[in-house]
Amino acid sequence: MRYGLIVPMAALAATLAIPQISNAQSASPKANREVPVSTVAASPMTSMDMSSFSGVWDPAPYMRPKEEVDPWDLRPNPKVLPPFTPWGKAKYDSNAKFIAAGAVLDCDPFGTARNYFTPRPFEVIPAKDRWLQHWEYYDNWREIWTDGRKISDDTEPDYMGYSIGRWEGDVFVVESAAYNGKQFLSWQGFPLTESMHQTERWQRVDADTLKIVFTFDDPKTYSEPWKITAFYKLKKDWVLDAHPCTLSAIKEYDERLNHADKLPGRDYAAPEKK
Amino acid sequence: MKSKTGFGLVLSVAGLWLAGLPAFAHHGGSDYDAQHPVALKGTVKEFDWNNPHCQIFVDVKDDKGNVVAWSIETYAPAVMKRAGWTRETLHAGDEVTITVIPSKKGNPVGMARKLVLPNGKELTGGVLGEQPPQ
Repeated sequence: MRYGLIVPMAALAATLAIPQISNAQSASPKANREVPVSTVAASPMTSMDMSSFSGVWDPAPYMRPKEEVDPWDLRPNPKVLPPFTPWGKAKYDSNAKFIAAGAVLDCDPFGTARNYFTPRPFEVIPAKDRWLQHWEYYDNWREIWTDGRKISDDTEPDYMGYSIGRWEGDVFVVESAAYNGKQFLSWQGFPLTESMHQTERWQRVDADTLKIVFTFDDPKTYSEPWKITAFYKLKKDWVLDAHPCTLSAIKEYDERLNHADKLPGRDYAAPEKK
Repeated sequence: MKSKTGFGLVLSVAGLWLAGLPAFAHHGGSDYDAQHPVALKGTVKEFDWNNPHCQIFVDVKDDKGNVVAWSIETYAPAVMKRAGWTRETLHAGDEVTITVIPSKKGNPVGMARKLVLPNGKELTGGVLGEQPPQ
């Protein structure tokens, strides 16, 4: 995608998002979240603040603290596991079997955490009242509202959740909730539910490096809040390319390559249990 | 096959994700042997520059002179562009050398890790995420 298309897309996304959010906040279905987030307020920011994290950022998994859970490890049952509740562990085991069987999640949005832990870049685009975050892989978008609003308890749950941001000194703090629980937190299949309250603390540790400390608080799945520290490198000369998830393209690709490799192909459904 | 340092590093990182592809695949399904890349010299039949992954179809003569039709995938176009590839990088009839990590099934299927064009120009198969400084 040429850069010229990014701005119109961002504007379009913002335009489209306004009625969507408005509707969501007036809708009555409640997310029965166990962690109240309505007390978390965002604060207005200056235009100078907004430029701090603008740009394209590429994940740097090699910089992660080795003692933490490794969200980049694709193998099931990594050495360090999150503090699962019994329900969370059972769900994770179920997810791991689902994944190991080659099951897929079609083109559903990845949610925010799994997007962060996919080795593809994202772009931060500051706008007047929000930041737009665009992940190249599967073209997932997220808004981080910076106009001082709170997260309402009746926000409609969604794959990408609902996010607000505020400054604490030189740290940009993003609070997210209203996830629908239909995605994994990571490629390993760590679960999340509608109870998830995700906090991100963004900080530039040098001119080219963004550190984000994630705290995942989902009492149904995890016995206590737990953290992941991830690093991203600024790519000043990069623009994001188009990589939407398109089932027709995936199917065509599957048919050609899987046929060549004598694989059975896919039916786009979870495999039957034997 | 011996790898140069940089290429080996690319393979190790790519291998982590490639090894995980079957288990975590949203598409595809081939399980690649990242530890044993092979260099294929052949003639391009088709180059499909599309998401989710580009595909290269190459006729390669085996040791007995038989033509084997290889199906080779790459990362997505977005990743390949950053490695210097374009949709015009390959054309039918091009004589190329492609280093691939092959399917563990032993079928003529692989994942491209390096390309040598007819003019001698070399391109890597791209990388996912930032690599440690050398």
